[in-house]
Amino acid sequence: MTPTVSVLTARDAGLTGCTRCGRVWPEGTQACGRCGARLRRVSTAGLQRVWAWWLAGLIFYIPANLYPMLRTATLGGHQQNTILGGVVELLAHHNYLVAGVVFFASLVIPVAKFFAIAYLALSVGHERRAGSHPHLHLYEVVEFIGRWSMIDVFVVAILSALVQLGAVASIHPGPAAASFALSVAFTMLSAQSFDPRLIWRGPAQAKDP
Amino acid sequence: MTDDPHPAELKATPAPNPIWTQLSVVWLVPLLALAITLGVAWKTYSDRGVLIEIDFADATGIHPGETPLKFREVDVGKVETVGFSPDLTSVRIGVRVDKHVAPYIDAEASFWLVRPQVSAQGISRLDTVLSGTFIEGYWDATPQAEMRNFQGLAKPPVAPDPSKGTWVELRAEDAGGLAEGAPILFRGVTVGRIQNLRLNENDAGVTVDAFIEAPHDRRLTTTTRFWDTSGISVSLDATGVTLDMRSLASLVQGGIEFDTLSTGGTFVQNGFPYRLYPSSDAAKASIFGNDLIDPPHYTLLFDQAIKGLERGAKVQFRGVEAGEVTDLSIKVQTDSVGTRYAQQQVVIALSPERLGLARDTDKEVVTEFLAGEVESGLRARIAGVGLLGSTLIVELTDVPDVPAKVMNLTADPYPILPTAPAATNDLAASAEGVFKRIDALPIEQLLNSAIRTLDGISAVAESEDTRAVPGELNGLLSQLRTLVDGLNAGDAATKTIAAIDGVTEAASSVLYEIEGLGDTLKSTDAAAQAVAEMPLGDIGTKIDGILGDVRGMLGSKDAERLPRALSDTLEQTAALLGELREGGAAEKLNGTLVAAQDAATAIADASDRLPALTRKLEELVTTAEGLVASYGDRSAFNAEILNSMRELRRATAAFGSLARMIERNPRAFILGR
Repeated sequence: MTPTVSVLTARDAGLTGCTRCGRVWPEGTQACGRCGARLRRVSTAGLQRVWAWWLAGLIFYIPANLYPMLRTATLGGHQQNTILGGVVELLAHHNYLVAGVVFFASLVIPVAKFFAIAYLALSVGHERRAGSHPHLHLYEVVEFIGRWSMIDVFVVAILSALVQLGAVASIHPGPAAASFALSVAFTMLSAQSFDPRLIWRGPAQAKDP
Repeated sequence: MTDDPHPAELKATPAPNPIWTQLSVVWLVPLLALAITLGVAWKTYSDRGVLIEIDFADATGIHPGETPLKFREVDVGKVETVGFSPDLTSVRIGVRVDKHVAPYIDAEASFWLVRPQVSAQGISRLDTVLSGTFIEGYWDATPQAEMRNFQGLAKPPVAPDPSKGTWVELRAEDAGGLAEGAPILFRGVTVGRIQNLRLNENDAGVTVDAFIEAPHDRRLTTTTRFWDTSGISVSLDATGVTLDMRSLASLVQGGIEFDTLSTGGTFVQNGFPYRLYPSSDAAKASIFGNDLIDPPHYTLLFDQAIKGLERGAKVQFRGVEAGEVTDLSIKVQTDSVGTRYAQQQVVIALSPERLGLARDTDKEVVTEFLAGEVESGLRARIAGVGLLGSTLIVELTDVPDVPAKVMNLTADPYPILPTAPAATNDLAASAEGVFKRIDALPIEQLLNSAIRTLDGISAVAESEDTRAVPGELNGLLSQLRTLVDGLNAGDAATKTIAAIDGVTEAASSVLYEIEGLGDTLKSTDAAAQAVAEMPLGDIGTKIDGILGDVRGMLGSKDAERLPRALSDTLEQTAALLGELREGGAAEKLNGTLVAAQDAATAIADASDRLPALTRKLEELVTTAEGLVASYGDRSAFNAEILNSMRELRRATAAFGSLARMIERNPRAFILGR
């Protein structure tokens, strides 16, 4: 061990942290004495679920980008826009702010999430305690920002509910809306399945039971 | 050794954990997601339609991914690509067609762009202003060999669906005012449109396709006739100005109307050819049926001028209408010594039916028939018909004593029929002479003098003097009564026998006079009868005829003179009437009566000087009774009326003689010559 390492993990101390309230208990304790939550051991088995949700989210992300998100019917005719198409159109109308928001929320964040989760899941088990703080921040950011990806879905849902003026104008969600919502939901589940305690666990072979 | 039973150290190795027991059920989620996504992708791919390519001249309003392809107003495809043909002359539009429809799109399919159109008939497809241009296609329900490349139509077809009506072909000499899309009217109702106006390839006419919508196409039979109602027709004739305009659309685009004028036709199939007549009258009057689209034509060459012969003039075959003149032109010929001279070239069309041949006789047979007739003396010549011979026709008739000639069967474009000099129109000449004589008759004067005569009679009858006549006669009778009374009072019969005799004689002479009056009355009656028998009716009839002629004459220059002559006559008439009024016929009559009264007074005076009553008073009384009896038991008033009537009759008799004189020589009467 390098002298710079001054972090003592719960695992090193033979303790198990409560995932709900954060109180640590000696290893082997069945339930948290403070909040009553069941104490689980830190295990890489949970990574399977992370990867499964992650994959499902990725699969649904493909049609979400290929199929149209919005179907707009106005007096002038029909129009269908994919996410990227919508961004391009907004740019063409010089709505740079809205285009930026949509681009960021619907494209940058989901893609970044995929990479972030994959990175976190892959980095589990490596000896990098000293650098684990950025990992924790990354995880927190991913978990916090994940819900904002739904902004596009919300916009579609609200527009579909509001703009139903018959022949004059009507907006319907496209197939991509459902795919996108599922994709975001699955990536959120993936992020939630990730046990942040793994970040601090260190090399898997060290004290794997 | 220890007794402690120490169990052997259990060497437990963890049971091999099969990989699948370690797998989480969450892995089902991505598997399911993959299955769904792949399923959707496969369905999308398998439902993808067939891509066809349509070439258009331009792609106005076509947007890839938006513009639909419609069949019977239902979307069956969507434009995917818009590109150019390899030579850049047209736009090639790729359309993804629904795979259920694609098998029907075969070689017969047609495509066109639907845009809002503003035409003389109104604005159509306004809906496309909002929905945008779209491509419409039509194909039939029988799948054949599929095609992938099509040439789009330049404009929407008039009737994409042939099952919704009947296509017929109209052939005309010229297009007149017709334009593409012009309406076809049946009794003023638009029942179809025309399309594809084109020049005939082999001759000078034009052909146009006409589409009659169902169910109106059932009005079409083989005897239906079509005519052009383009523009405005203005005609000026004796009945006034007639302005005929069917519809605004037909004013701009022209129009065609049809009607079935005779029964007996059979229903027609698509593509049935019809002749398009230039006007309604022509359609109704033409002797050529529809089934004779191309009647046999012949050329006539005339040496003399044929001014007045027009296109459409009738051709008579031995007095029967058998065709019409279709063309007039000049043909310059060169004779044997090289002198050039012009001939009038007339082209006629003949109806074989009217020549006594079958309806569908071949042209060659008709020519052969005519050639035979020509050898036996048949010639074409110009003839005038009508009252004045001013309407020229072509006559095919046997002309006696003509040099033998044969038809030139090889002449181009039509065989040449030999001609004869125009017939001298005796009838026309004599008719003209008759007309001139009729014109010279003083009809107007005669009529006016008759009117004046009647007016004069009326004036005499109505004048105060005439009304005074009965009173004066009454006075005369009173005096007679006074005389008789005097005679009664005299009572000197014996000494006045001779005088009574004289009186008797006088009375007898009076009686005689009265009897003579009967004769006079007879003659008056006769005169009145003569007046009554005056052929006024005939005159009326003649006047009618003359008026007809005059109406016919209106176009001639002589017509201008007519009002002047009429005016002259009227002036004369007025003058004559004035004379008559100045002459004072009534005063003269009155004077006569006054004279008669004077005579009676003289008789009364004489009676005073007569000897007293004689024994012949009885006779006198008897005679007087006879006198009274001759008037019957009528009242004095009636007798007065009778007398006055007789006076009137006498006056009438005088006018009767006047009338006879007019009859004999009206002009002398009126003009005093």
